[in-house]
This record gives sequence, C-alpha cells and structure tokens, in this order.
Amino acid sequence: MSETGAKHKFAFYLGCIAPNRYPGVESASIKAMKKLGVELVPLKGASCCPAPGAFGSIDLNVFYAMAARNLVLAEQMKMDIALVCNGCYKSIWEVNHKLKHNKDLRDNVNEVLKEVDMEYKGTINVYHTAELLYNDKFIGVDKVRDSVTNPLTGARIAVHYGCHLVKPHKDREFEKEVMMNTENPTWMEELVAAIGATPVEYRNKMQCCGAGGGVRGYDIVHALDITNEKLINLQEEKVDALTDICPFCQLQFDRGQIEIQEKFGVSYNLPVLHFAELLGLAQGMSPQDLGLDLHGISCESFLQKVL
Amino acid sequence: MVEKKKTTTKKTETKKQDTKKAAPVKPEVKKQAPAAKPAATGSTTQQKPRIGVFICHCGTNIAGSMDINAVQEYAKNIPNVAYIDNYKYMCSMPGQAVINKAIHDNKLTGVVVAACSPRLHEPTFRTATKEGGLNPFRFEMANIREQNSWVHMHDQEGSTDKAKDAIRIAVAKASLLQDLFPKTVPVEKAAMVVGAGVAGMQAALDLSAAGIKTYLVESDTSIGGRMSQLDKTFPTLDCSQCILTPKMVDVGRESLIELYTYSEVHEVEGYIGNFDVTIRKKARGVMTPKEAEAKGIVGGGCNGCGDCETICPVVKPNEFEMGMKPRKAIYINHPQVVPLLYTIDFNSCVKCGLCVTACGPEKKAIDLESKDEFVKVKVGTAILATGYELFPIEKKEEWGYKRFENVITGLEFERLICASGPTGGHLVRPSDGETPKRVAFVLCAGSRDNTGIGKPYCSRFCCMYSLKHAHQIIEKIPGCTPYIFYMDIRSFGKAYEEFYYRIQDEGAKFIRGRVANILEDSKTKKLHVMTDDTLLDRPVDIEVDMVVLASAVQPSADTNRTRKLFGVSCSMDGWLLEAHPKLNPCGTTTAGVFLAGVCQGPKDIPDTVASAEGAASAASIPIHKGEVELEPYFATCIDEKCAGCGMCVNLCPYSALALVEKNGRTVMEVTEAKCKGCGTCGGFCPGGAIWMNHFATPQIVAQIDAFLLGGEQ
Repeated sequence: MSETGAKHKFAFYLGCIAPNRYPGVESASIKAMKKLGVELVPLKGASCCPAPGAFGSIDLNVFYAMAARNLVLAEQMKMDIALVCNGCYKSIWEVNHKLKHNKDLRDNVNEVLKEVDMEYKGTINVYHTAELLYNDKFIGVDKVRDSVTNPLTGARIAVHYGCHLVKPHKDREFEKEVMMNTENPTWMEELVAAIGATPVEYRNKMQCCGAGGGVRGYDIVHALDITNEKLINLQEEKVDALTDICPFCQLQFDRGQIEIQEKFGVSYNLPVLHFAELLGLAQGMSPQDLGLDLHGISCESFLQKVL
Repeated sequence: MVEKKKTTTKKTETKKQDTKKAAPVKPEVKKQAPAAKPAATGSTTQQKPRIGVFICHCGTNIAGSMDINAVQEYAKNIPNVAYIDNYKYMCSMPGQAVINKAIHDNKLTGVVVAACSPRLHEPTFRTATKEGGLNPFRFEMANIREQNSWVHMHDQEGSTDKAKDAIRIAVAKASLLQDLFPKTVPVEKAAMVVGAGVAGMQAALDLSAAGIKTYLVESDTSIGGRMSQLDKTFPTLDCSQCILTPKMVDVGRESLIELYTYSEVHEVEGYIGNFDVTIRKKARGVMTPKEAEAKGIVGGGCNGCGDCETICPVVKPNEFEMGMKPRKAIYINHPQVVPLLYTIDFNSCVKCGLCVTACGPEKKAIDLESKDEFVKVKVGTAILATGYELFPIEKKEEWGYKRFENVITGLEFERLICASGPTGGHLVRPSDGETPKRVAFVLCAGSRDNTGIGKPYCSRFCCMYSLKHAHQIIEKIPGCTPYIFYMDIRSFGKAYEEFYYRIQDEGAKFIRGRVANILEDSKTKKLHVMTDDTLLDRPVDIEVDMVVLASAVQPSADTNRTRKLFGVSCSMDGWLLEAHPKLNPCGTTTAGVFLAGVCQGPKDIPDTVASAEGAASAASIPIHKGEVELEPYFATCIDEKCAGCGMCVNLCPYSALALVEKNGRTVMEVTEAKCKGCGTCGGFCPGGAIWMNHFATPQIVAQIDAFLLGGEQ
C-alpha cells in the first residue's frame, strides 16, 4: 500500500489524442481508477508512443528507440505502465515484449539510447487500463460494479474493441491468459453491464474503425467508408452510445461522423465515449468534469437518458 | 532408529561386494542356452574377441563422400579386429557371402558392418552372421550412411574421420556381445477389436472369417459408427446405410463375433499372445433375450418393440441426429441399430417405472436397478479402431458456429439431407425451416490451421464430402447454388478428380480463399461470408442462407484412455502412432496391438476399410502361427544386487516388472514377453542390479570409452 492508500501504482502514459482532444479520458481515468485502488502517476517527459502505423511503417529503428525511451522513463520510476489507447498499447507493449526477448534488438536500441544517457533494462510490464479494470488480479468486474453510484440504467451501449489490444492473437498474452477469445470477445460487454447499462451486440463488431494503420492519413475517404459501415451496423441496433477503449478510434467515430456528413451527406449523431468517461459518469462525475462538451458529436441525448 | 541404520550399512556393504563380481557373473547365467543353440557358438564365447569389419560403399552413397581405403587402413589397427574387407554393396548376395566366408576362414567371434541404418539392414546382416555359424546377436552395425555420408556429403575429410569413430565404437561393442536366444510364447486363438465403426466391423468380420474368435467392443449403444450417420458416400453416391447395414447385420449374426455394445475396455494386462482384457458393460437397464433366459425369464428380454419408448416421459436430444431430433430416456438411436436392444440413459431416467409396466410381465426386459458388469476375456492380439469426432468448431469464433443458427457442420448437414434424418431429408435453415437458395461450404474449417486454435493437419475427407454435399443440394433443391470456399481441392482418390469435375459442371461455384469472417444479418438470419478471392485478387462478401463448416476431425474422446491401456503411443495431435508410417502402418510399437481406420489419422471410407483389412490380416498372423518370437532385448534382474526397492516397477512404461519373493528376499522379476528393452529401469536402478540384454552397461561403457579415448584404449 502506498501513502495514498492505493493498492497498485502505475506510471500513466497519456499518449497524444487523449490529452489534446478528449481530456475527459485523462481525468476520468485518474479519478475512476483511484476509487478502485489504483493510482496513476503521470509519466513525466514522455514522448509520442510513437504511432505504430505512421512510424512503424517508415523506420522501425526510430519506432523501437522512441518507444524504448518511454519505457525507460517508467523503469526509472520503478513502475509498470498503464495507458488508455490501443495504438499506444501496440507500440509500447509490443516494443517492450520484443526488446525483452531479442538481445540484438535490445543492443541496437541501447546504442541509440546511450546518446541521451539511458539504458533499456526490461524491468517493467505494460497494461491497458481496460485490462486492469477487467482482470481480477488488479481490479475485476465485481469491484467496478461496486464502485458505481449512478448506474447507467436503460442505456443501450455497443462496444468497439479496436484492433491492437486484442490482435494479433498469437502475441497477446493478455488475450490468451484472461480472455481466450479474439474473434468475438465479450469482456467489455461485461464491464458495460457492470456499470448498469445494457450491452448491445451488432454486426461485424470486430471490424476496424477505419483510421488505424495509417489509413486515415493516407486515404481519408476510404477510412470514412469503413467507419460509415460500422455506423450503419450500429444504427440498425438503435444504440444510445458507442463506447471504445482507444482515443484514436474515438476520434474516428466522433469527429469522423462530422466528416461523413460533409462528404457523404449522412448523419448519425451517435455519441461516442471512451469507457473511462462512461465509468466516470457511473461513479458520479459531472459531464463538465469529463469534458463531454468537447466531443464532436453532442452527448446530450445520451446524458438525458442516464442522468 | 539405530537398528535401521545398521541394516542400511549392511546392505551397502553387500552391494559393494556384489558390484565387483556380479557383472561378469550374470552373462554366464544368460548363456544357459536352449537346445536349439548351435554348437559352434559355445566355443566362441570364451576366447579373445576376433571381430570382422565389413565396409560398404553403397554404390557412391557412402564411397562418394569418404575415403574407404583410409577408413579400412585405420580399422586394421583397432583392437580385436581380426579381419577387414569392403564391398560395393554389402547387402547383396555376394556381399553377404563375403561375411559368411570370413567368419569361417578367420574364426570370427563378432561381425561389424559399416553401412546404412540398422533399421534398414540389421535383419539382413543378422541372417548373414547366423549363416556364417555365429549367433545372430553377435552382429553390430555402424551407421556411416544416414548419420554420416548423407549429412556430410561435402566434407570428405570430416566424414572419413567420423566413419573411423563409428567403426571403432561398433567394434568395442561387438567385442563384448553375447549369444542371445529369442523366446517364443504361445498365442491365444482369439482377438479383440475396440470400436465398431466401419473399421472395427470390417476387422472383426475378417478375423471371424479366418476362424478367429473375436470380441468386438463398442462404447455406443449400436454398432455402425460415423458411417451410419452419413447420407451418401462419395464419389459413387451410394447410400451409406444401404451399404453398411448388411455388414452390421453380418456382425450381429456371426457366431465367432462376441459383440459388446455400450461397453468399454476397462483394464488390459498381459502381452502379445496373452492379453487379459476386462470389459466394462455399462449399466443398460435392458436385457437381451439371452440375458433374460440366464435369469430364468423364459421367452423374455427385449425384442425391440418400442412400447417402453412410447410411454417414457423424459425427452433428450438424440446424439446420433446431432441433437436435432429428440429421443427418450429409454431409446434406440435409429431404426437400423444392431443389436436391436433398447438402452436406458440413467443420467436422465427419473425411474418412474412406466417402461417396466409397458414392457409387461412376459418380457420383463427392463431392470431399473441394473449395474455396470465386468467381463474378463483372454485374447492373443487386439485391434484399436476408436475413430474420430469433430473438432469443436465453435472455437473458431470468426465463423460463428453455435452463435449463428444457420451455421452448421458437415455432419449436421448429413443428418438434414438424409431421408431418415430429423427433417425427412429436406434441407432447411435451422432458424426458420425455410429451404435455402444459397449455401456456402467452408473447407479446411479448423484443418490446415496454424493459428494455434485449429489443427495443423489436413482432415483428408472434407473436400470430397463437401463436393458431395454440393451435388446433393443441386440435385434436391432446384435453383439452389452451392458456394465452395476452398484453399485447394484435394481429390486424390480413385475416381475423385472426375467427381470434382462433375460437380463443377453441375454449377457449383468455387471461390479460392480462406474464409476470414462470417457475419449474420440479425433480422433475416442470412449470413455474409467474407473472404479474399485469391484467383481474382479481390475481397468477396457473399450473402447466403446457410453455411456448412467442413469441420476438422480429431481422435474420439475415449481414444487417449484406451491407447494408454494398450500401451500405444500417439502423435502430438492425438492420433495413434503406427510402428512405421510407410512399412508398418497397421502395427504399433506394442507387439500384438494393431490400428485400423481413423484412430491412426484421417481416412476416407475406402482407406479405412483397407486399413481395417490390413490390421485384421496382421492381427491374425500371430494367432495362426500359434506362437510368437520375442526379441531377446529384455531386462534381467541380478537378484544378488537387487535391494527390492521397487522404483523400477513404477518407472516401467510397459508394466513388465514386478516385485516377488525369492529365497526369502524381495526382488524384482521381469516378465520377458512384456519387456521392450527400453532401458528405463536399467538406467535408473540405484544398485546396478538390472542387466539389459544387448545393451548392457559394460557394452555401452566400452562404446563410450572407445569414442572418448580415440582408439587408445
């Protein structure tokens, strides 16, 4: 137990989109996790994760070295990393995993890190906050349920898992040990039910948001086309909101709806919330605390239903 | 405490003394040869070893990669070598004659042939050694081909040196080899077949036709197996039941076949020629006329009238119909069962007694209190034909089996298209009973799958049955289109390729691509099959009414338990392991136990029947011979050194060892017929009390010394 009474302490890696576009994700994560006995300590001096599609497909050495630098910062704090974004998970978890198991790669990276007086040692692990919430080892669904003061009763909520947290199945230890299911996972639905809402299944749930892998940067219309297909499938199930665990997916679904309206002339007005934001609401945080007014698509209709 | 300590010290002392003298003593004991022993061998045992070395060129297989002359020159100076020669093909008749002559001319006591692997020609050279007048176990082989010239093809110097080492090591062992005499054991004139699918039935019919009493054990309530669930068979389109039921009836009628349905092998003891097998007859609750008569109910027993079934109030899914049709707690699976005998599923029976009343006071066939019974039989050989089951394809989440109603397996399709099936042969969508207009077939569903969730192997008959399914829907449902999603169509059997072309001509659509994902339209329950058409190089999304998954197959659930009882190994994926994949596909490493059908690996019906006939033939050979010769590589216990600790008994994988009382002491005893000479016990024995024939410690130590000392021994 630390001085703050938290059972677990993690270095909180923010990434880029959460603090810049959806600050509610940051505040909700810190506050909600605290109530669940997990303290998130800011990882000071962190850089971009770096974005797996953009950096990974141009220069892998830069990709490894930048991610390793972020890992070293946490190693210096002697804390495991917790993060809120699937893209960050892909970069930081995967680079950590690779460096731990590949000496040549580790030597190469350390060669680069030497220039800034750093050395990667491989002493920490990397977790997604959603993983911490679901895994009994840290928090677990029961504790999440117990922490709810304002259950989101009656809200029909669909889940978008995103890609990098669950795939590729072969690598993801978290998948193998805790979920055992990559093609049709349902653990997020359990979390949605735990905060009082009704989880809703929809067609092609595991389809990509459309943005990842550099698709959004390379061909926005194609990216929006994929997003649009998901939105059609969601609309069919008459959901009140979509929840995600990745700010990049959230950006694509939330601001993407505005772009879809401009480009395709279709509007959905589907509120899109990170699970941390939903959990914040269910634990009694106000929409203002969560910065929900900063969302591209108004959350008003959803809030009226649950508050 | 003090007393105990004393005894321990005493024991150790005795052991020490024994170690010094016992090792040379024991071989003498083993040399008490039976009458058949040739006179010439006796004299050779006492003299200084004289070893003949014969180097084979194997054409250029060996001679092309090493300097034979250099090897021969070197071998001349190896201790105990009395004669050395080389020849182009040692295994040829003239080559063997060279060995024969050299033994006589040079009074050799042992023979070393440096050639190929002993798995190939050890028997050949043993015979040659025997013909030269030596005990055949005085022969030792040095492998300078598979383990040398073939792998070091481009390193002449290295392979020459390695051959020198190999020969030096072999000579060291040959110098210490002893005469050994194979044992013979009598063989019980009866066989057992485990599993009564088409493989087990065929094997049992063949064995009985050869005059051998056969016990056929089947865990299900009826014989027939998977084949009886099929509608039609490829490529001839015979009705599966029509060609199978005559065989089922024959099995039921044959007086030499003793049929045990709803039974399992419970325990196996013994060895080839003399297996004692305990069969567990599961509590069935219904008596045959024979059993009834034995209990004094004359003219009683089940006659299959079905009055009990009509009145039974408990309804359960029928496993034979893949759960798509109901059955009662007292049931037969389908009208053609053999034997026609009802069974009570005691897991569901509420013991209301209505069936007892319905059966009536004359037949008195039903006994609600019946218990498992155990029957002991003795057999000479056994055939395992335990078959397969479908891989639980719901584990491949992306295809939605058990999540989407209209995704079914190939076996469910068989029942739906079968006239005696739950829908009377009308293929319908499970969700709404409508006739489908577009049906997708997903091949390699869980087969040839390296993701870690499916099976890496090819299930071998799914391509063909999916083609047959496609034919059946085209034939039965006008306007219905089959879409076959495949990786490549494996139509390798007789008349299979022709069948493939026929189905193409009939209008089936073939899309080459592994199905990535299946999505369900929640309202219409139609399915979208998503894949990449790798021939047209574009993504495909095809809407169909239902999907048939050609699910991978895996060994049936009870295979692992049964194989352990019989001491049969299995491969990593659970299929039972044959003695040799090419040259002994029906045998196993346990003498007297054979494999038939799919339990060894996926097979279609023709291959299954052929394998069953092969297994029956192999299993009948020892029985007709009346006795079997056992390789004399068994372990022997040196009683004076054995402390009776019994650790070896638990280690033995073949249950060949036991503790017995001898002259007031507890010592280990080997059942020679069961021992495979694996050496587990010999390597472990803390007192060095176990002597492994032909692989004895002094022989192995001599080999190691010969290697490490580089010939300077």
